Formats: sequence, structure tokens, C-alpha cells
Amino acid sequence: MAIKKIAVVGAFSVASLLVLSACSSGGGSDGASGGGDETITVWAMDGDYTPETLDAINAEFTEATGAEVDVQVQTWDGITTKISTALATNTPPDILDVGNTQVASYAANGGLLDLTDQADDLAQGHTWLDGLVDPATIDGQLYAVPGFAGARAVIYNKQMWADAGVTAVPTTYEELTAALDKVKAANADTSDFSAFYLPGQYWFGGLQFVWDAGGEIAEQDGDEWTSGFGSPEAIEGLEAFKEFQTSYSSAASATLNTLEPNQNQIFADGKTSAILNTNVSGILTANPEMTEDDLGTFPMPGLSGDTQPVMLGGSNWAIPAKSQNSELALEWVKIAASPEIQEDYVYGVDGWIPNSSEGIEAAQATLSDVKKGFFDAALNSKATPPNPNWTTIESNKDVEGLFSSIASGSQSVEDAAESFDTAADQTLNGE
Amino acid sequence: MTTSTPSTTRSAAARPADRAAGASRSRSHVSRRLRRIPWISCAIAAVFCVLWAFPVYWMVNTAFKPQSEMLSSTPHFLPQNPTLDNFFRAVGQGNFLVYLQNSVIVVAGAVIFSIVLGLFAAAALSRFRFRGRRTIMVFLLIVQMLPGTALLIPQFLIFNSLNLLDTYWGLMFAYVAGVLPFSIWVMRGFFLAIPVELDEAARIDGASTWQVLTKILFPLVMPGIIASSVFAFIASWNDYIIAYTFMKDQAHYTLPVWLASFSTASGGQIGTDYGGQMAGATLFSIPVVVFFMIIQRNLVSGMSAGAVKG
Amino acid sequence: MVTSLAPAPPRRPAGSPRGRLPRSTRPSLAPLWLLSPAGLVLLCVTIAPIVFLVYISFTDYDQRTLFTGEYSVVGVDQYAAILSDSEFWLSLLRTVVFTATLVGGSVLIGAGMSHLMTRLPTVMRYVVTVVLILAWAMPNVASSLIWKWLFQPQYGVVNWLVTQTGVVGDITSVNWAADPQLAWVCIWLLVVWQAVPFIALTLYAAETQVPLERKEAARLDGASEFSVYRVVVLPALKPTMLLVTMLSIIWDFNVFNQIWLVSAGGPDRATSTLGVFTYTTAFSGNVQIGAGSAIAVASTAILLVLSVLYIRNLVRSGEEL
Repeated sequence: MAIKKIAVVGAFSVASLLVLSACSSGGGSDGASGGGDETITVWAMDGDYTPETLDAINAEFTEATGAEVDVQVQTWDGITTKISTALATNTPPDILDVGNTQVASYAANGGLLDLTDQADDLAQGHTWLDGLVDPATIDGQLYAVPGFAGARAVIYNKQMWADAGVTAVPTTYEELTAALDKVKAANADTSDFSAFYLPGQYWFGGLQFVWDAGGEIAEQDGDEWTSGFGSPEAIEGLEAFKEFQTSYSSAASATLNTLEPNQNQIFADGKTSAILNTNVSGILTANPEMTEDDLGTFPMPGLSGDTQPVMLGGSNWAIPAKSQNSELALEWVKIAASPEIQEDYVYGVDGWIPNSSEGIEAAQATLSDVKKGFFDAALNSKATPPNPNWTTIESNKDVEGLFSSIASGSQSVEDAAESFDTAADQTLNGE
Repeated sequence: MTTSTPSTTRSAAARPADRAAGASRSRSHVSRRLRRIPWISCAIAAVFCVLWAFPVYWMVNTAFKPQSEMLSSTPHFLPQNPTLDNFFRAVGQGNFLVYLQNSVIVVAGAVIFSIVLGLFAAAALSRFRFRGRRTIMVFLLIVQMLPGTALLIPQFLIFNSLNLLDTYWGLMFAYVAGVLPFSIWVMRGFFLAIPVELDEAARIDGASTWQVLTKILFPLVMPGIIASSVFAFIASWNDYIIAYTFMKDQAHYTLPVWLASFSTASGGQIGTDYGGQMAGATLFSIPVVVFFMIIQRNLVSGMSAGAVKG
Repeated sequence: MVTSLAPAPPRRPAGSPRGRLPRSTRPSLAPLWLLSPAGLVLLCVTIAPIVFLVYISFTDYDQRTLFTGEYSVVGVDQYAAILSDSEFWLSLLRTVVFTATLVGGSVLIGAGMSHLMTRLPTVMRYVVTVVLILAWAMPNVASSLIWKWLFQPQYGVVNWLVTQTGVVGDITSVNWAADPQLAWVCIWLLVVWQAVPFIALTLYAAETQVPLERKEAARLDGASEFSVYRVVVLPALKPTMLLVTMLSIIWDFNVFNQIWLVSAGGPDRATSTLGVFTYTTAFSGNVQIGAGSAIAVASTAILLVLSVLYIRNLVRSGEEL
């Protein structure tokens, strides 16, 4: 009996050893967190920076410090979960590329390193864009460094518009709708054609109408937040969005988002003559036969007479509070935010709007026609509420639901706004 | 659950006999069928096959299509210009072999652990009477009722404080936690299907408990071991959310996490790379399909044998 | 886990048809060493986490706690909030209804298929078996992604095929995942598609054990195929049927990947079952782990109460064994 028991124990140990050895051989291959030469881990978001830009930052960083960089590109789906769980561990990534609207929640809960003392050093004499710095500033403390900005502009197919008899770039809302009416008439035979493809769930697009009419997402009074879609101005904006969406975007698009099917693909396939987006690279990838010359861009004009305020999208670099290499991480972020990288790569290669007003001025000189539309649009920009709970609303996709139920007509504008406000009031105030 | 069919106790031990019986049955089928082919049944079965095979066919079909054919408003039911590009792109997305290795290590570990531990526990719960046995059985049942994501929360926090997150061990233990109670429960059913007279006879011949287990019982519950290994394998091989939540470093991702990451990949600008995703799904599925084809006979006959004493 | 040992009972339980336990009356240490490895592991990976889960459900454990470790005990506040949240009750209802329709659908189709298989010529039966295994073996992450592609608005082949039939008009651009009912239909089809093979194959294996003569006799008496199945086959299949139904309940109740990957619980939480609700509360957005734990504990408790009769039966049958 005793011998048999030993046999059992033996069999167990062999099994465990097998697994253990497999583990260690697998664990050895990552090398990122191990000893030896220092390596920092950077989480970059998919679609934010090209590998070329990241390589340039890494090369400069490695030259300056001798440390290596492990860049991991993260996908957007479920990113708040990914970052929250990673920030909880003792070995989080050293640098995070965080969407500007998402910084607040991590920062307010102590997940990110306070960079206030290093702010001047990191700014390197430049003035960061408000749309990027403001959401990264909680109670006067800075928690992230602006990386780049992006603004949405109308991208249109020059050929299609010319064929329909549109010759001048629209500068007012009336000119835009007149142009779209012509395009719509000219393409009446194409099934599922959208003169302007604006899918119903595209809340960044819908927000522009709300802001243009003077509405706000939410307003703060002391500690109390109030969601603002029910205000008369916002309702007017939502009505305008509905009217525009139903007039110029295919009926089917009312419940869709921009990713599935992808709006760039739809544009590339010739099923629409115009979309609202932050850059043209997706279209060029989807249809390699198109070049920048085939495309025109301009800021979306608003009913107010001005261009529609755009949501200033963009990303910030943040350092987790528990980072094991915060000194090195700071060094890396400083390089990423430096005027040289911003001008040569973030603007030059990736085509984004640089993180500072000086950067934008410097870029003006070399701005191509296509890029100009995005830069012009950025001149009138707004951001989501600097509320730590805003992330919850974003990740629940409640805003998508608001706009798509309005576009599809499944709810009246007032009902949709009211039910969104009720839920948002609770979330924003942490109830 | 205590009713037994006439053939139950026999089938676990004496499958060859069943097979012979099956063979003679199918011979009589043939003669009858010469007279009357069941056209209606065949038609229904054909429709069923088309419906059930279609998703798999469509996956493979898509995997071989170039992008332009994939995104066309009239679908092509065969690739016009078959290409392997999707496969190259899929394998090039991250590091396929590393993810495969991660999946294999963790899943193999979890299956071995839960089957070996479960086998002993099932033997104890079916062959011995002791105080607390009922409590254990009830506990094993209740655990099945926890929503799968419920255990994830405390495991995440506990493993985090033990620095087990982002390691093979952490993930493996999480799978064992999900699979072990079920394995015990299933294998116990198989033990119960074996007549206790067999043990008693062996004991009278002077066999020790250990010998009774290893020489008599374990070989007889082999179908049960296979069946529960397969269930354990399916559960852990398919897991997405635990691996997604636990594994921070991309080098530690498992295949399902890798596959799902195609959804927003390739620049976020052209949406899901369906060609690459379907090619990846094909690669991910082939080994499992082959494995299932090989073991299915054992599995199904094993299940129906163990079924009687669930 | 109780590992204390007692002498085996002096007599066998009266209800047992056959002896199931060794007659030896000497106390044996065997159960102890057989159970302790599994017991230890379960203690670490299941019992301790459950205890911890119950504990955090009484705290305000959230994102801040995750990052800094600070939390406070809030008593039953989480439960009060959860139980007064209609979303919780809706999730519970959805889970129960969804599980019931899934189990019902897959067992019906599976039983129908298994019976059909017994009436097929060998070649056809072989084809059906291969198709079934194919669908069964597909990892569900892969099949969920296939589903998304099949049902994709604009380029999805299902949309195209349904449009071709001309029954419901042009639906090529319909976004299944964005419509509450269609999202359910889509997920239901997916889960049933994968659940049917196991049920069909297992029931088929069991049905081949039913003597053919009995079926033939009933048919000769002029019984319809349905009554043949009900009167002759079904009684013989009862134990297997019970087993696959129970396994289906357990599996379908825990369906997560398919929902998560196809609709992520949307649109507007229409497909959010308890599992999805727990996960999104605990890990998405603001990471309310305390609240997520309370959902998990409360829902398990409610389901336990609902199934107490069923468990009593099982325990009773366990006693007999």
C-alpha cells in the first residue's frame, strides 16, 4: 500500500513537473518583466500610431537610456476592462495610450501617476491643446500627457460630386444640403446609396448637431451633474440630426455603427459620396485605387452659420501609478510628446493633429488640401464631460443607443432624450 | 435517475457484443430498405445537413476568398480566385504559434489535473459511504449553478494578490475550478454503473482498495474518463473571458483571445478583417474537429453508458 | 469540505435495488486520501473564492479599491441596490427564459434528429454524423465569430439568402445585433446549432439499444411514427434524456461567449443575461466589483431556492446510491 501511495505521489509530481517545465519555458519567452536589461512595456491603441512612429520614439528612447521597449497594440473593444484589470496588478504596463475621454476615471481612482510636477518639463515650452489637457486634469492635477488630436471633417468623393453637378465646396449648411440633394438625385438608381453616410449609432457625428444647436452633453453645478439632452437646444439639435440622417443616409444605416459595416469600406465601394471621419487613410486602404486627389475634405457646416463644433478626439500618454519603471516611462513619454516627434511623425507620418497649438501652426505650412479640412474642423472643438463616470456611459454604448433610436424612429426624440438623461444623471452622479 | 435499462451495466464493460448486435441489425435494415427507401427521412436529413454544415462551409469559403470577393453585395459561393493570403495574415497577426502553445499548455494542464483528481474523488464518492458525502455531492451541484462569471471576480482578486494573474498557473487553476466539480460528477455516474459485486469479488480474493481501484475500476470507467476529459477540454479550450481578463501580456494570450482580437484589428479603420478571422477560425478549429472525429465513437457510447446513472 | 470518516452503515438502504457500497464494516481511510487532493484544490480555487465573493458583496469594492486597495464594508447596501434595480430582475428573467427556450429547442431538435437517424440508410446516417460532429467540434469562440460574419449587415450571407427568398423584403442591411429580438434569435440559433449534435448523437446511441423488433411491431400495428417514438422509444430513452436535459440546463445557463461576442449583451442590455450582467457590472466601465459580487451571490441564491425541489430529489437519489 505504501509503495502504491508513493507511486501516486510520483505520478503527480511527474505531471506537475511536466506542466511546470512547460510553464517556465513559455514564461521565459516573454522576457519583458524579467531581469537583465531593463524593458518598459507600452500599450498603444490600435489605429492611433503607425509602427513607424512608435519605432522612431523607441529608437530615440533606447539611444538615450539603453532600455528596451515592448510595444503591445491593444484593440478598442473592452479596453476599459483591459486597462482597469491591468492597473490593478503589481506589474502594470509602464505607459498607456488612453483615449482623452477615458483618462478621468482611471485618474480619479488613483490608477495613474500624478504628473503635475513634471508638466513643464514634459511640455517642452509648448502649449498643449485644451481638448486634450482638460480631460486629463482632475482637481488641478495632471495625469496624462497629450499625444495627438483628431477632428472629424466631411470627406467626399470629388468625382461623384462633380458628376452630380456640384462644383463648389459647401461652406454653409444650406449649400451642403443642396449639394447632397443633387448627388442623391444623380444616384437614385444605385440601391442602398447614401448621399452622406451617417450611421445612426455614430454618436460623434450626432453630437455635432447637438452642440451646433447650443445643447450640451451634461452640465455641472457644484457636485451635481445634469445630463443635457432634454434641453430645448439639444432637442433641436437631435431633430436636425434626425432630419439629416434620414434624408441623406440609407434607411438601413439608422441602426448601424461606423465599424460594421465599415464606413470607409462603404465609401470605398462607391455606396456613398460622403462620410464624416478623422482621416482618409482607412478609405485609401480599403480601396487602393483611390488616391488623396480623389478626395476632398471640409469642416461640417452647421445650421448655426458656423462650422459644427467637433468632438476633439485624441489620445494621451499616461503612466500607471504602480509602474515599476516610472522614471524610464517618463523619459519615453517626454520623447513621444516632443515637438520633433510630433511634427515629423505624429503629424508627418500619421497625419494627426499635433498635441500643441505651436505644433498646429508649424504644420499649417505643409498642410495638404485633404488634411486641411481636419485642421479647420479642429478650430471649433468640444470634449466629453470631465466626469470620472463618463467612461461607464461610453462603455455601455448608451449614447449610441440614443442616437440610433432617434435615427430609426423607434423612439421619439423627446422620449429618447428623456430616458437617456434619466439613466445618465444616475451614472454621472455615481448613483 | 435510478432507473436502469436492460443493457446498461453491460454496455460499459462489453461493447464488442453491442457492436455485433448493431451489425446484425443493420443487415436486416438493408434487406428491408431494398423494398422501401425512406425518401422523406432522407430529404429531411439532407436539409438538416445543409443547414448545419453551412456555417462551417461558409467559414472555409471565406477563408480562401480575397478581400474583394468577400465584401461584395452578391455573395460568391465558391472563391473565384482562391488565395492563401488570409491564412498568412492570420498567422502573422501576433504570434500564432505562441498562442497555440499557451492554449495547449494551459488546457492540457487543466484537463490532466481535473481528470486525475476527479477520478479519485469520484471513486470515493461512489464506492464508499462516509459522513459528509451528501454534503459534498450537494456542493458539487450548487457550484454548477454559479454563473460562470461569478467565480471570475474573486479569483481575479485572489490571484492578483498571489501574483498568479498573467501566468499559466493562474489560468489553469481557474479552469480546474470550473471543470473539476463537473468531472467528478460525470465520472461518479460511470463508477455507479459498475456492479459493486466486481469489487467485492476482488476483495474476497484479497485485493487492496488501491488494487481494486487501479486493476478493476479505473479500466472499466475508461469511457467515463474519456467523456469527462472531452468536456473538460471543451470547456477550457473554448474559454475566452477568463483568459481575456487574466492575461495582461499579449505573449500570454490563448487562441480564443487572439481570434476575437481580429474584431477591431487592422488599424481600426477597415473594421473586422473577416477573411483573416475566418482563416484563423479554420486553423483554430481543425485540430479540434479531427480530434472529435477520432474519439466520437468512444465518447458517444461512453456517454450513453454513463447516462443511465447520472 | 467534510472529510471525517464514519464506519460504513451496517445495512444497505432499503430502496436500493442492488448493493452499491462495499459491505466491509471496518472504517477505511481510503475516501480520505482519495478525496483530499481534489478537496484541497477545490478549497483553494472554488470554496475560498466563493467565501471571498460573499465577503466582497458586502463591501463597496470598486475601481479605486482595485488601484489603491481602499474599501469599506457597507453591509447590505449592495444587495438593497441590486434587488431594487429592475435590470437585475430583468436579467434573471431573461436568463431563465433564454435557458428554457435553448434547452427546449435543442432537445427537441436533437431528439428528432436522433430518431430520424435510426431510419436513415447507412450512408446518409454517416453523412449526418459527420456534419453533427463538425458543428459540435467548432470552438464556440470561432462559431460566434462565424455567426457575426454570417449575419453581418450589408455583406452577411444570411441576410442575402433571406432577402433572396423574397418573404420579408430586402433585409441585406439589417443589423441583427442591434435589434433586441433579432439579437436573441441570432444567439439562439448559434447556441442551438452547437448544442444539437451532442444531444442527437447521445440519444441516437441510446436509441440503438432499443430493440428494433418493438418499434417494428408498433409500426405494423399501424401506429404513427410519433406514437412509435412516444410509446416505444421515449420510455427507454428516459435516463439518457434526463441526462442530456440536465447537462443542457447547466451549459445553456452558463452561455457567455456567444452572447458576449455576438451582441455583448446589447442592444441596450436586451441580451444581458446574469452572467453578462455580472461581468459588465464588475469589470466594464467603472468596475463595481462589490455590486457585481452581490449580483452573483443574489442570483445564485435565488436560483437555489427555485431549484430546491430538484436538488432535494437529487439528494434523495444520491442517498439511495
